[in-house]
Amino acid sequence: MSTHGHAVDTDAQRRPAREAHDSHASVATYVRVALILTAVTALEVGVIYIRFLTPIVVPLLLVMAAAKFVLVVMFFMHLRYDPRPLAGVFVGPLIMATLLALVVIVLVGTLPAFQR
Amino acid sequence: MATHEAALLRHEHAVHAPAATGVWSWITTVDHKRIGILYGVTALTFFAVGGIEALIIRLQLARPNSTVVSAETFNALFTMHGTTMVFLAIMPFGSAFFNYMLPLMIGARDVAFPRLNALSYWIFLLGGLFINASFLVGAPPDGGWFGYTSLTLRQYSPGPNIDFWLLGLQILGASSVMAGVNFIATILNMRAPGLTLMRMPVFVWMSLVVQFLIVLAFPPITIGLVFLMFDRFFGTHFYDVAAGGNVLLWQHLFWIFGHPEVYILILPAFGIVSEVLPTFARKPLFGAPVVIYSGILIGFFGFGVWAHHMFAVGMGPVADAAFSIGTMLIAIPTGVKIFNWLATLWGGSIRPTVAFHYAAGLVALFTVGGLSGIMHSSPPVDLQQTDTYFVVAHFHYVLIGGSLFGLLAGAYYWWPKITGRFLDERLGRVQFWLLVAGFNLTFFPQHYLGAIGMPRRIYTYGPGRGWEFWNLMSTVGAFGIGLSVLLFLVNAARSLRHGALAPADPWDGRTLEWRTSSPPPVHNFDAIPPVYGRDTFWREKHGDSRGRKPTPLPPRPDPHGIHMPAPSFWPLVTALGIVITAAGALTHLAVVVLGAVVVLVGGWAFALEHHRNPAHVDQVGNLGVDHRKLAMWTFLGSECFFFGTMIATYLAYKGHDKVGPHPHEILNIPLTTISTFDLLMSSLLMVLALHAVQRGDRRQARMWLFGTAFFGLIFLGFQAWEFTAFVHEGLTLQQNLFGSTFFVLTGFHGGHVALGVAMLLTLGILDLRGKLAVQDAPRVEVVGLYWHFVDVVWIVIFTVVYLIP
Repeated sequence: MSTHGHAVDTDAQRRPAREAHDSHASVATYVRVALILTAVTALEVGVIYIRFLTPIVVPLLLVMAAAKFVLVVMFFMHLRYDPRPLAGVFVGPLIMATLLALVVIVLVGTLPAFQR
Repeated sequence: MATHEAALLRHEHAVHAPAATGVWSWITTVDHKRIGILYGVTALTFFAVGGIEALIIRLQLARPNSTVVSAETFNALFTMHGTTMVFLAIMPFGSAFFNYMLPLMIGARDVAFPRLNALSYWIFLLGGLFINASFLVGAPPDGGWFGYTSLTLRQYSPGPNIDFWLLGLQILGASSVMAGVNFIATILNMRAPGLTLMRMPVFVWMSLVVQFLIVLAFPPITIGLVFLMFDRFFGTHFYDVAAGGNVLLWQHLFWIFGHPEVYILILPAFGIVSEVLPTFARKPLFGAPVVIYSGILIGFFGFGVWAHHMFAVGMGPVADAAFSIGTMLIAIPTGVKIFNWLATLWGGSIRPTVAFHYAAGLVALFTVGGLSGIMHSSPPVDLQQTDTYFVVAHFHYVLIGGSLFGLLAGAYYWWPKITGRFLDERLGRVQFWLLVAGFNLTFFPQHYLGAIGMPRRIYTYGPGRGWEFWNLMSTVGAFGIGLSVLLFLVNAARSLRHGALAPADPWDGRTLEWRTSSPPPVHNFDAIPPVYGRDTFWREKHGDSRGRKPTPLPPRPDPHGIHMPAPSFWPLVTALGIVITAAGALTHLAVVVLGAVVVLVGGWAFALEHHRNPAHVDQVGNLGVDHRKLAMWTFLGSECFFFGTMIATYLAYKGHDKVGPHPHEILNIPLTTISTFDLLMSSLLMVLALHAVQRGDRRQARMWLFGTAFFGLIFLGFQAWEFTAFVHEGLTLQQNLFGSTFFVLTGFHGGHVALGVAMLLTLGILDLRGKLAVQDAPRVEVVGLYWHFVDVVWIVIFTVVYLIP
């Protein structure tokens, strides 16, 4: 074939041709993730009753919720094992939605720094 | 099984048979080309309706103290003109080209989900008819295309006018998001061999950006409309200032959608111009990658500038400055495109066809609209121009000088490909110059009218303000536009009967659609063409800059034969159900129930129609992933905006209640912790179910699928119990802002859980009937993705609603 350097290649050829299901996590991993999710949920509920954590309880809760979110997405939803474009079509909008939500909370709510 | 294989065989024969004819073949079509034509014809029809509305508006404003129509009718006319042109004419005109051209330009036989494509079209058509049916019952929407609260609340718009509008827009939004997900999967996963992303034509790139804008921008306005619907139908307080609500919430949600919508309308035109100019300049597009990156940047920035539509509401200096800077920045990638188009023309061997005229017209006229747009990015200047005719002039230069000129360039460019006949070039030139003259006569004076203080949306004005002459000129110009559109219709009708026959490649084109016959066969290409680089087809004909031509590969037969999707009437049935449900909201609960039943039956039949068709098993595309999985992840990205908007509203309103009960007085954290644990564990069961299906272990698959559904039902049971308890304790939708935000947020999440349970039970039943095998693992995985997403949304809700003090 003479293509004068214009080779026929595809995105797929530079990636696994098929989804490799066997590269997904094992059942044991899924169970471990479920146990961690349970433990973090218990911690979340626990920290709201601990008085000396009150000043940092909001960031603490947000971090723990984010950790659970990431665990489910990475393992149960297999994003850790899937091609990157799949992460792109989800994580990009997730970040944008989070930023937009923050701006809406600031503009519609009553954050003093942004008031006249 | 045998039946399905026989059906498949029939479809393969159908590929080589003449295209089916008759009304039924159009009603049941899933062919992207036919759906593209349906979009085009429908858009043109609605364009005519919106145009007639505009002409009546201009007649009313032609003279001072005119009484052509009443003030009420005038309100309805400008509301429906804006709504029709944006949602029912320009947007679907772009969809016509997406549908017809994208698969051809990427070397695909159809879109990723042909029946979903048909469903999108029927929902769009029926949604458009639904909104316009308001005229028949004498209650057309009259609150402006922007529908600002509190003007649109029941208190100030008691009739069904706004109900038609808000229900219709939700229907149209569903259609757009479905189509967006479909095209994203198609473009990313169904490209011809060798067609890498950076080799894609710019029109395909701009279409891809537009689809992302659609799937991400529509959820916020959908939520805004849902809140408005709840306020109007159920007495909630989202926009009720007396109860602590904020009318600016609507403006934010509307413009978070509304500004990207401008790019949804303009980027397809930019893509078309980027195809037309190189073809008729006989030069490659100058700096094509930069044009592509500029389009992506425009789309991205488009999400960060919405509040420049709200400078007049008093957001404060920090917000004003931030949105002002963002708006100025977006001019940079837009300007880059203009210069790239000009550089493409520079030194080109130009053939001034009508398509070229329109493309060049866009470059000139859109620039006028772009420049006045930069003026609006300055808050002090914008304050002077807000709600004046200056703004009307600005956005018509963008949407007619930009979008419409680009779409007409596309119409003249691709008409021979679609119909196999040429449009009359001489008549086309007359039409072009008439449009240029009429358009500029209509809208350029409106800059001046706005600058001397004429407010927009007034239905009449007194004499002696210096507005008379230019309003009269504007009206004369509008009729010039009308005549030009009429000439286009005459040209189109004449071409269909008497137009000169067009060959496959009438313009000496550069992209793949010109490799196949005009019009293309049902299956588009006998053999999928390989791609060697940008403008492959051009290089095959003329060589590269050194005259070297790639040697085409021999046609590669499809290893599985050519499979084309079978016709289906379930998309129409499902769409009918949706519109019946909406009609029920305006008439009687029984009609809502009837519509819901039709949606359920149609959706069920739609989902299972091809369950055992072997041709549907392998749907792995360019990215190495299944189309369905890619589409589901894309949809979940859209859902992030949906729930993100709801959660943001909950948090923005937190603590704004005027009366109790307040969250800390009523939320039952221990109970919700149990239901949260239940939902988390359901996700574990879901992955075990998928694992079992992939192994072919039917017994375990059945057990885990039903187990997941059971855990989902337990969660719903908890929620029902919680809702009932809250109502008994005095917290209802109508009680306070907390009740409104809490019930709508958690209720919509519960609705998602219920849908997930329905899908799981369907899979379980299929398994019981022996119809869930290893090859069905992608279906289970897609349902699983949805289920896990519902789970992660609850993780966020549990934290922000229940746990954060």
